[in-house]
Amino acid sequence: MTTDEHTLIGAWALDAVDAGERELVERHLDSCASCAQEAAELREAVARLADVTIAEPPPRLRDSVLAEVRRTRQEAPVAAPGEAPESARDRRRRAPRSRSGTHRAHRLRLALGAAALAVVAAFAGVFATWSVMQQPGGEGDGSPIAAVLEAPDAEVAYKEADGGGRVTVISSDSLDDAVVVVSDLAAVGDDRSYQVWMVDEAGQVSAGVMDPGDSSATMLVEGLGDTQVIGVTNEPAGGSAAPTLPMVADVALDA
Amino acid sequence: MFDQGAEAHRRQDQPRLSVVAGADPATPEALLHRTALGEDDAFAALYDLVSGRVYGLCLRIVRDPAQAEEVAQEVLVEVWRTATRFDERRGSATAWITTIAHRRAVDRVRSAQAAGERERRAAAESAEPEYDQVAEAAAGRLEHRQVRRCLKTLTELQRQAVTLAYYGGHTYRQVASLLDAAVPTVKSRIRDGLIKLRDCLEVSR
Ligand SMILES: [Zn+2]
Repeated sequence: MTTDEHTLIGAWALDAVDAGERELVERHLDSCASCAQEAAELREAVARLADVTIAEPPPRLRDSVLAEVRRTRQEAPVAAPGEAPESARDRRRRAPRSRSGTHRAHRLRLALGAAALAVVAAFAGVFATWSVMQQPGGEGDGSPIAAVLEAPDAEVAYKEADGGGRVTVISSDSLDDAVVVVSDLAAVGDDRSYQVWMVDEAGQVSAGVMDPGDSSATMLVEGLGDTQVIGVTNEPAGGSAAPTLPMVADVALDA
Repeated sequence: MFDQGAEAHRRQDQPRLSVVAGADPATPEALLHRTALGEDDAFAALYDLVSGRVYGLCLRIVRDPAQAEEVAQEVLVEVWRTATRFDERRGSATAWITTIAHRRAVDRVRSAQAAGERERRAAAESAEPEYDQVAEAAAGRLEHRQVRRCLKTLTELQRQAVTLAYYGGHTYRQVASLLDAAVPTVKSRIRDGLIKLRDCLEVSR
């Protein structure tokens, strides 16, 4: 085999090759036991990457799939040794060749930004924050918020607040930033503000004060450092120098 | 709190079915074999075991919930259709199913790109994200720190290349252009990164 096919095995395992290259690699795997072994091992490892994207599908999907299955004939088994799975071949035929280009890459990144914001809106569970985030002025692609959401090491934690609502924290160690989504806390009058705190072993520091009377907000917290807990308290309008206990919610971050 | 989330998630993802002495009939492999024999109830149990994984991966790559649902349906029907071709000696059932899901999702994204489809974005904008789905995803994240920990053992470029390719559905050439790196470099970093990932996941299993 050529060097080309060998070095493509990693990209192939990630489906990061075009249709022609996929064909090339799979044809080689049929005839090279050592590459087939490596390919199989990498595939197992790659499949574990989906451990972190598990999401519950809408319940209707189950009925819909089971109904389609009832009217779908199964393929005949193929016992021939070394044969590539038929499904892979089918897909290969369907897969369009992709061409790279800056225009498409740019569009892609924009789409990613919009999707990231949708994720925040979803975490918030309220769409009040949505309007805040859609304001012009660059909360889209490339914003610090989008960067946290897209960070490969992003961790998500949340807590139901006393009195209702929820506080969600999406944090990235590598960026040292977090996005805090406060949603639907108990209503307060214009004389009160919810305040967000970063808490570590040394104590706490204010991370921001919400507008008086507001019970939902999305904010970027920069410089997480050793923060262990993101806490929210109910304070007099404009916030306090020290938190009024008990906290409305405290969200522990992954150590 | 996270614990509750993770617990709820685990229940959905891995229902504990009755275990008979000897082989566990509820493993994905056993269910896939019974599915290959045309047993509807085995397929339904398999659905309960892997649908969150399939749908979640499609959602991550395709981004639009309505399209993710469509692709997940195609994937799960393909699992039924081609269960007869699954060969346990060549890999786990979970990896086999995940591979089908990833390819389908990536194919969808690339054909949408090729067609210059605008509709996708419009759909993504109008679809209201459902909280529960994302909460489940969050629980999954909390539960599967091993993968995150292992990803951290990769070099920055290896990790970026692998995650952009896998979760972003990009080809290695597109990844090179996104990272402003040379194509052969990205190609070899991807392979090195995956080998490291494989070793880390095996060691800590
Ligand atoms: Zn070889």
